[in-house]
Amino acid sequence: MLDFLLTSMRKDLSRWRQDKTALLIWLGIPFLIGGLITSMIDGGNGTPTGVLLIADQDDTLLSGFVIGAYSQDQIGELIVVEQVSVEEGEARINDGGASGFLTIPAGFQDAFLNETPVTLTLKTNPAQIILPGIIEDVTEILLDLGFYAQRLLGPEIQQIQDSAANNLDDDLFVSNISVEIQDKISKVGPKLSPPLLDVVILEPPPAEPQPDMALLFLPGIILMAVLFASNSLAADYWVEREKGTLRRLVSAPGVLAGFVAGKAVAALAVMGAIAAITLLIGFLYHDVAWNKLLPCLLWVSCGGVGLFAWFAAIQMLFPNERAANLMTTILLFPLMMAGGSFFPLAALPDWIAGIGRLSPNGFIVDRLSGELGAAEAWAIDAKSWLVLLAMTTGGLAVSTWRLRSGFARK
Amino acid sequence: MLTVEGLVKQYGDFTAVDEVSFEAREGSVFGLLGPNGAGKSTSINCISGLLAPTAGQIAVAGHDIVKDGKAARQSLGVVPQEIALYEDLPAVDNLRYWGKAYGLRGKALEDRVTDVLGHIGLTDRAGDLPKEFSGGMKRRLNFGCGVVHQPKVLLLDEPTVGVDPQSRAKLFELVEAERDAGACVLYTTHYMEEAERLCDSLAIIDHGKIIAQGTVAELKSQLGARDALQLSGSFPTDATRSAIASLASSIADLEVLSLDEDVLMLTLSQASQHLPGIFDAIGRAGGSVSETSLRSPNLETLFLLLTGKELRE
Repeated sequence: MLDFLLTSMRKDLSRWRQDKTALLIWLGIPFLIGGLITSMIDGGNGTPTGVLLIADQDDTLLSGFVIGAYSQDQIGELIVVEQVSVEEGEARINDGGASGFLTIPAGFQDAFLNETPVTLTLKTNPAQIILPGIIEDVTEILLDLGFYAQRLLGPEIQQIQDSAANNLDDDLFVSNISVEIQDKISKVGPKLSPPLLDVVILEPPPAEPQPDMALLFLPGIILMAVLFASNSLAADYWVEREKGTLRRLVSAPGVLAGFVAGKAVAALAVMGAIAAITLLIGFLYHDVAWNKLLPCLLWVSCGGVGLFAWFAAIQMLFPNERAANLMTTILLFPLMMAGGSFFPLAALPDWIAGIGRLSPNGFIVDRLSGELGAAEAWAIDAKSWLVLLAMTTGGLAVSTWRLRSGFARK
Repeated sequence: MLTVEGLVKQYGDFTAVDEVSFEAREGSVFGLLGPNGAGKSTSINCISGLLAPTAGQIAVAGHDIVKDGKAARQSLGVVPQEIALYEDLPAVDNLRYWGKAYGLRGKALEDRVTDVLGHIGLTDRAGDLPKEFSGGMKRRLNFGCGVVHQPKVLLLDEPTVGVDPQSRAKLFELVEAERDAGACVLYTTHYMEEAERLCDSLAIIDHGKIIAQGTVAELKSQLGARDALQLSGSFPTDATRSAIASLASSIADLEVLSLDEDVLMLTLSQASQHLPGIFDAIGRAGGSVSETSLRSPNLETLFLLLTGKELRE
């Protein structure tokens, strides 16, 4: 039997490999869907940054302070400040090349110190929503800060400005001005600290590690390719029946079991190729530990044979090829839907995911997801392997029974 | 070599094969001749093990096809009516595959495949895919796949359906070569010419029953020297039947095979000599003859005599 099994396997592989279009379709559709999903998910992970153009026509200590304020702490992570001329700033903001354009006019510092009106001009990009709003808010806060600073420390700032203009930077001046500022802050301090409101910050509960959403889609996408392939390969029994080779085979002595097993092994080789291609791409893209590749490859390949066996058994139950193809095609999409090929099982409501895990492909997807997300390789338990073995054996047994019970003779 | 005794195959109330019995010897071609739907293919399917007989025994090379199916099948070769090939597998691999299905291995397999390729005239095309072959080449390869394991009993189910004359002649040669090599060949056909050309002995089957059996010579002798005379025209049935009956006294072996308003079929000896009398009798009965067809004795005439209908109806 083993010899004919290998002969039968080589025969089927030789025939199937001529149909390269099928392989492209089996892999192409899942890759297309997977690529779109991954790009959509990964496209939302980056932190948006905006460009604030500043034309500093004042070029003073205070205008420098304003420019520096936009680069502080978390604001600095959102906004990149570029100093430009007025002309360049106008041109770039009009072309949509920045989130905002701030003009600090000449005489800004003097006006600030003398408490005379001064206008800062901020142009924002109407094509953007969030970042120009942030820039506006930050600018308004800066103006408020400036107002209170001027009220509190106006004379001291004026002295600093004068000393800078007259190059009076002796130690006595610095110590005097420092003491004055410190006195004022000390007087204001008790009014500000401690604050009248007592804010208690509660530590949030430790969050569970968030799974990589794109990686969650990977098992379902791989199984989509496997489902397409297994359904398509299962139709080969009908092809052989229509050709008459099955009838001829039944006339030969005791080769039916070898024939079925040969087809299963050939299907295993095809599933292995599909699993290898999809897993390699997935492992490279998601940077999965390579020691998980072998268990994943074996699991997907064996699962594919199980699905092939059952698709074949189901197809052989129908009275004609058209009805058989129609039924398994109709079956295919609910299976993909429930089994996590369109939405990861982890993202589905529990009761739907529970049903999905009971489907053959959902079972395979669930364990594959577990293997990919586990801390160590070979996380799929022995019970799952046994269930898969039983599923495959059952499908092959039903296929053999159908061949013997009349399918091949017609 | 092949013994069929009391073979019955029923589908519900319908009896497709009814008490068919015959024996075919090694080194001979046994024909099953009959019109479409007569039960030839059903008989072959029972013999090859594809269908379980309702009753009866079938022995292939001494092995019962039901009780000792594996051994019986090992001695069988089947060339089905349809072209049962892997058209996307090279011709040589088709032969290897079917050889292995029957247990051939190693050098024996390769030698036999080489022989068969030469035998069927496809040595030059061994590596090509059958889907690129002509119909005749596919038929030859189909035949080759059935004989690659040198079966003791070869079943050929209407192998020349849809085959051009040149390929048909080649297939005849192949069948004769198998017979000469000692095989017992069971050949079904509804072509009388094929049966006469190939078969050492045959059975004529209709409605699932064997209605005549023997060598071609024996079957022809059942006709004696009678010709088959088919007249087309207008025939008042009752009056024509009476008129022909009145001729029976002067024409000893005259017999009406069939009679309807348009066609009258008769068998009689030396029909050409009796034509004027027959035309005269028909004229007196109020009928007229527009066309006359006279056939010398052959299997088709016998089938007409036995069933009252054409073999190809």
